[in-house]
This record gives sequence, structure tokens and C-alpha cells, in this order.
Amino acid sequence: MSTAALEDDAPRRRDDLVLVTTPAMRARRHPFAIAALWAWQTAMALLVAWPARGLVQAAYGNDPRGDAALWAPGGHALLDWLWRDAHGLRSVVGSAEIALGAAAVLGLVPMAAVMIAIAHTRRERLEGRWSAAVVEIAAGALRAFPAMALLLVVVTIAQGVVVATGLALASAVESAARVGMGEARAQQLEGVVAIASFAAVSVLGVVHDLARAAVVRFRVRGFRALLLGARTFRLAPLTLWWSWAWRAAAALAPILVGAALASRAGGRGGFVLLVLAAVHQAVVVARAALHASWWAKALRSVDASLRRAIA
Amino acid sequence: MRAVRVPPALLGAFAFGALLGQPAPAAAPAPAPPPAPAPDVASADAALPAHADDVADYTLRASLDPVAHVVHGEGTIRWRNTSTQAVRELWVHLYLNAFKNERSAFLRERVGGRGSAAPEDWGWIDVHRLALEVPDGPAVDVWPTAELHRPGDDDQTDARVSLPGEVQPGERITLDVAFDDKLPTVVERTGYRGSFHMVGQWFPKIARLEPDGRWAHFPFHHLSEFYADFGTYDVTLDVPQGFTIGATGPLIEWHLENGRRIERHVQSDIHDFAWTAWDKWQGMREAIDGVEVTLLYPRGFRRIAQREMAALRFALPYECARYGRYPYPVLTVVHPQDDVGEAGGMEYPTLITTGGAWLTPPGVLAPEIVTVHELGHQWFYGLVATNEAAWPFLDEGVNQYAEQDAMGRWRGPGSAVDLLGLSVSDAAIDAVGGDQAAHDEPVAQPAYAFATGAAWARLVYARTASILETLSRVYGDDLVARAVGVYARRYRFQHPGPDALIGVFEQVMGARVAATLRTALYDEGWVDYAIDGVSARRATRPAGLFDSIGGQRDKVEPGQADVEGWDDAVLVRRRGTLSFPVDVELTFADGTTRRERWDGEGEWKRFAWRGPVALRAAVVDPDDRVLVDQDRENNHGATPSGGGGAPRTLERALYWMQLALQAASP
Repeated sequence: MSTAALEDDAPRRRDDLVLVTTPAMRARRHPFAIAALWAWQTAMALLVAWPARGLVQAAYGNDPRGDAALWAPGGHALLDWLWRDAHGLRSVVGSAEIALGAAAVLGLVPMAAVMIAIAHTRRERLEGRWSAAVVEIAAGALRAFPAMALLLVVVTIAQGVVVATGLALASAVESAARVGMGEARAQQLEGVVAIASFAAVSVLGVVHDLARAAVVRFRVRGFRALLLGARTFRLAPLTLWWSWAWRAAAALAPILVGAALASRAGGRGGFVLLVLAAVHQAVVVARAALHASWWAKALRSVDASLRRAIA
Repeated sequence: MRAVRVPPALLGAFAFGALLGQPAPAAAPAPAPPPAPAPDVASADAALPAHADDVADYTLRASLDPVAHVVHGEGTIRWRNTSTQAVRELWVHLYLNAFKNERSAFLRERVGGRGSAAPEDWGWIDVHRLALEVPDGPAVDVWPTAELHRPGDDDQTDARVSLPGEVQPGERITLDVAFDDKLPTVVERTGYRGSFHMVGQWFPKIARLEPDGRWAHFPFHHLSEFYADFGTYDVTLDVPQGFTIGATGPLIEWHLENGRRIERHVQSDIHDFAWTAWDKWQGMREAIDGVEVTLLYPRGFRRIAQREMAALRFALPYECARYGRYPYPVLTVVHPQDDVGEAGGMEYPTLITTGGAWLTPPGVLAPEIVTVHELGHQWFYGLVATNEAAWPFLDEGVNQYAEQDAMGRWRGPGSAVDLLGLSVSDAAIDAVGGDQAAHDEPVAQPAYAFATGAAWARLVYARTASILETLSRVYGDDLVARAVGVYARRYRFQHPGPDALIGVFEQVMGARVAATLRTALYDEGWVDYAIDGVSARRATRPAGLFDSIGGQRDKVEPGQADVEGWDDAVLVRRRGTLSFPVDVELTFADGTTRRERWDGEGEWKRFAWRGPVALRAAVVDPDDRVLVDQDRENNHGATPSGGGGAPRTLERALYWMQLALQAASP
């Protein structure tokens, strides 16, 4: 692996992509990349949301209040619709499952693109040729896809094993403790064990993201990237985990804001609905930005880790 | 009885609502204070009978072996013939034999729902002696000649006992009884697990003799509950010293003796007795409305127990105001843990069992609902002692209405779920549940006649409550509350049938309501209001040739629009066998709305007029008063540009799908 690119802080060229300095890898410098990520997620979500809307339109579209009844307090119309249109709803849910599965795999491309945008600048961009820059980033993201996909498979299997083991252990602990401690305390203990297993899963996730950053940063293949990710994590495990964790926690807060506003909006339409939609989309963008921020941190970390190795 | 588990429909609604973010009202409703009894209520309460007619008195002593899970019982039963006929036999319920083998009626009839699994450890009752006391002579043991089961039927829950002589109307007899219960592992209301013991349906219980001399006896069916005469229960319980007891009636005296705890509980004016003993009970106690409430719960359930106590703080005074004062000094609430969940959600006089996981989120009101439901049974089953086997809707259905009413008054539209922007009412869940079985079977039929447990639950509980709630929304909450209140007070300490309930509704709300209620309960009554057409045409002169006075003949071409305004029309249909007065809301092109009233009597009604503004849409029953409307999706109609579309659904579905994608994506 070439480390020439790391030897000074000046921007330098590698093929058509020009690496930026480590401190310069910041998500906030790439609002268009974040907007593109939002656009990708919105397009995928629309594949499911539009049929759901069509289903409700068929049932309540002729109501002058539209689907307001469905969102009215008390939930009678909502429950009735869930039961009456269960068949249609099942197909929507099936579409959602397919979309989520596809997004988990195909989403590697936009993710890699955002990482490339953060980690590199482009000669075309430097020269003001934006469309060419976009094409170049997309090509880079597609090139990274096989390595990313391999990582996804390996880490997902590992995470599955950890979760299954953790839940089995938690269940065994609960069974053993139930008679002596009572149901509630035993289940609380079960919860602690389960949470510990999820913490282990999150560690694997952090290593996974670091490996992805290595794929983008150094164009290494899957297993090499995994080793780089693991080495990076080993150098500062708590710092890196916390960097991921606070962003993950912060990404939950906007959801609560969105739910509270939906609660306030009730079944109202018109301007209130427009405001609600704007706030909801702001929540989605904020979460996309936090994701991108973490990926930038991962890029900086693998970069710094290799610098330290060289030093 | 109420199933403790959250209904699948509710879980589905919660999951979908959480997905889409259905909004709750702007602010959580503040708990409403219980209404002060109106003067007429207070005077009605003053007129309530102080005591029931004492028919069957049980004086028992029960000793628990917590290792063998055996209860040894003995004592006396004093029974009086209150019918107009002399009798030569007794019918005795041996409910615990339902769990003796798979040939019992209970286990043969596993049609779904609680109690469908055979117990891991069988349970039964062995009666050793049932001796009739004879004046000036030795008691005559009549048990050896008892007929435990009918020919060809192995069920042993309904025994026939021949007497050596007739018992005349008004005559009282005394029977000495000795028996052993082997408790099953917990299955539907009763049993053990480890050192936990819930002891219900545990003693030989004399069936009720109706005034005409007909015995209301029955096997213990899978879906049925119980029926008995009022009396005084004086029960002494004997358990290991480390155990805590919860039992029907107040604790009169207690002491420790040879490592055993001995407690005596006595209560008059009741028709059953249940108790629990466990060495791990925790407890809290509080006086509510003059009633000493004891709540027993497992370790780690304190937060849930506090929620249940809060529910009782509202519901006990509320139901007293609605249905007459609670006449007993105590109420014991038992919250079993989840692994004995089938012991939960059950009612006995002055003792109810509730349920719910210790981790139940505050916005999921299952523990509160079950607690309020079982409390309501103190009136509808306890004080108004209907035949639960023959007419289960009279206790479970009417009580389900009482539960909806109390929960709705207390928690508003989020009376079942109020979480993450989703609010679902108890009434909405029942409305949809009841709809699902509306055409399957009648509501008013014996418990054992239902084909499935699901149909029984949807019709007996949900449909009955939805019918009453519909009457309440259409004709006024006060009227239905008054009708049910009159029924509860008039038949306190009595054993009314369906006609009594319908008769009170006729008296309070009129013949049309009574007829509707009868059709809905007995004849699978149903209704579907629908908008069958909405039209708005620019007003035109009638076309054709018209003779004028001067002998001229004027010709008007079709579509000649030389008059102002619009010809608007709406066709509303009522399908089905029920009818309710409904509103029809008309929305016009200028955004204004107007309401028309239809008495709902015919099969259709056309509203047509000429006005200055075009009609855009119409909605029948816009306030969702007719909960039993079979199809709500045809309650609206519009001109091609009149519908409101589904923008809220698109917005929320898009948002939550975006969040889901962010969670699933790398």
C-alpha cells in the first residue's frame, strides 16, 4: 500500500481524485454530498410511501377532510383501516422490507460516494467542472462497492453471531435467576446481558465503519480494510466508540422532536402540514449530516492511524 | 374476566402507528375528577338494599400444603330452598375437576383463548363427605350416591346429589363437607407455580336454584364462568407462616400457630370466595372512598402496582357514582407475575386479579385497563349476579362498556395507548374487534355456544360494549349511563336476565332504542351508512316544449343555463338491520359546511336543493358516533374535485420510511 500521499499536508493527486489533508476531512464542508444522501434516502422512501398513500387515498381520498380522520385522536379510523385494508397494507409492508433490504446493500454506493467526497477533492472540482466531479465520485463509489459488500457480509455475520449468543446467554441468565430473584429482577438482569451484547455489536459496527473508511481512503480490499479498521480502533477504542455513540444518541433526539410536532399537528392539513413536513425533512437531513460526520471522523481516524504507524 | 395480554389488534395498531406517527391530541388530557353524585344518584344509593337474600352460607377451613399443592378443606354449607318448588336433589359444581383430565368439558372444548393448553400438572377435587344434618339424628352422608358425571360423558364438574327427603320451599338444610383439592399448574384463573398459589373455584359449590325450581347447573365450559346464590362466607385459611394471604372479604382475626399463619376472612352478600398465598408477595395499602384497598404484587412490580392504584383512585369513586356504592369494606387486588399470567385478569367478590409486564411503558395502559375492568366486575357479576354461563354478555359485555366509559373519562382518547404521538382509545379497539365478528354469531347466547374463543371475545366483550357506546354517542352519554345505572341499582343482589337490561333501556331511552338493542344483541344486528352519490350541476332550465297561456309553445334547449346557481344532491343509504339517527355534513366549493339530520329510519335518503354554491363532498356520521357502522370507508363521497386526498399519510409514511432507511442503511 502506498503511503506517499500521507507524507505532507498539501493536497495531492491520485488519479483524478485529490486527497485532502486529514484535518480537512469534515462533513460540514460537503453540504451537497449530505443533500445527495438525503435525496437518495428520500427517493428510496418514496418507493414505499407512495403506494401507502395510494392505499389510503383509495379509502379516504373522497372524504373532504382527506385522511385527517385516520390521524385523529382515538385511532378508530386508523384501526378500522388497518383491519379492513390489511391485504393492501401487507403488500406495502412487503415493499418496505424489500426497500430496506435493498437500501442496506445499495446504500453502500451513496455512502462510499459521501466518504469519497469528504476524503478527496477533485481535479474537475478544482477546475470548476462539477458534473465531471460527480461522475468521478460515482465511479469511485462503484469501484469501492465490492470491497464494501464483502465487509457488509462478514461483519453482519459476526454481529449476528454476537447478538444470537448474547440473547441466548441473556435468556439462560433470566431462567436461572427467575426463581431466586423474581420475574422482574431476572428480566432486568437479562436486559443487562442483552445490552452488553448490543454494546459488543456496536463495537463491531465501529470497526466496520473504520474499515469502510480504509477502503475509501486507501483503496484496499475488504479483509485488509478490516485489519486496518481493527488496528485503528485498538489505538483509541473508547474515543472512537464515544465518537460514534454520541452521534448515534444525538441522532435520536430529532426523532423525538419530530414525534412531538406530529402530535401537536394532529390531523391538521394545509400550512401546519407543510411546516410539519419541513421539520420532518430537517430531522432527516440532520441525521444524514450526523452520519456523514461520523464517516468523516472514521476517515480522519484511519488516516491518523496510518500516519502514526509510519511515524 | 379479561385477558391480560395486549390484543393483537392493539399491538398492530401500535406498531403501525409508531411507524407512521399518528398524532395524539395537542395535550394529554388531565385526569378528570370523578363526578360528584347527582342528588338523584345519592337518593338512589340511599334506597339500595343493604344486604342480599342469604341463600348459601359457607363456613370452611382450608389448609394449604405448598409442596404438594394440596388444599384440605372442611366445614359446613347452609342452603335454603328459595324456589317455589320442593326439591329432592342438589347440583354441586366441582369446577376444579375441569383440570383432571382431557375428557373434561373444559379441556375437550379448547376453542382458543386462555386455558387452551392442558396443565403441566393435573388438578382435581375429591369430596370425601357431604353429610346432611338431620334433626335429632346422625348426619346422613349423601356423597356416596352422588352422580359425578352423566352417562357417556366423563366430565366431573357438575355433580348431582340425591337427598333422602324433600326440601320444602323456604326450608334450610345444613351439610357437613370435607374435601381435598389438588391444584393444577396455573391454568385459567387457578393453580400453582413454585410457591405461588392462586386458589379459585376450589370448594364444592351448590348450583343456583331458580325461583321456578329449575337448577341452573352446568359443566365448567371452556368459555364460561360461573353463577351462584348470595350468602355469607366465613373462611379460615391455614398456610405456612412465611406466606402472605390475599383473600375475599376482610380479615377478622389471625394468629401464628406451629409455624402456620391462620387467617379468618368473613364476608356477607357475596357468591364466591377466592384466595392467594405466596411467600414472595409485596404489598401496598390505601383507603379509597372509604374502602381499604390492598394491592399484592411481586418484587420489581412496584411501579406497575402504583399505576394500578392510581387507576383505582379514579375508577372506584367513579363507578360508585355510576352504578351505586361499593358495599364492602375491602378490595384486594392481586397482580401475578407474567409466568402465571393466566391467574391474572379475573374477578371474585372483593378480590380481583390484574396483570401486565413490569416493563409496560406508561403510554401502554394495559395494567390500568385490566384493573379497571376487573373492578367493574364488582358490579356486573358481583352485585348484579347474572348467569355468566347462559348470558356472558350481561357481565363481560356490560362491564366492558363500564371499562371503556371509565377509561375514556379518565384518560381521554388515549385510553388504551398514548405513546410516541399515537393515541388509541379503548372504545376504538372494541369497535374494530366487534366488527370482525358481527355477522358470525349472536351476542346474546350461552358462553358454550360460541364456536371459537375469538368470536366469544369479539362479540361478548367488544360488540356489546360498542353497541352501548354507540347508543351513548348517538343519544347522549347521560342517558346510557343513567340506564345502566338504573339497571345496576335495581338489580343489585339479584340475578337478572337480558330482558331486565333491555327493559330498563326501554324505560329510560324509549322503545326504539330497546328494539335496536334487542336486534343488535339477539339477531346479529348490523348497520352500514354510505354516501352513494354526490352531484353538483350548474342549474339549467328544464328542456323541452312548454305551452304558455297565450297558446304559444316555447322551446328550451337542453343545458340552457340561464338560471343562477347549482343543483346539488346527495344520496345516503342505510344498509342492515339497525338504525340510528345520523348527521350528514355537506362541504361546498367555497369551503363552507352545513349539516343535515336524517332519522335513519328508511333505507335511503336523498338530499337535493338548488343553491348558490356547488357541493363538493358529503360525509355521513362525521363525528364517528355510530361505532358499529360496518364500513367507514364508504361514509364519504365527493365530486371529482371534492376529495381531500391523503397528504398526511404521504408525509408521515415518507418520514418514517426515511428514518427506517437510515437505520437499515450503512
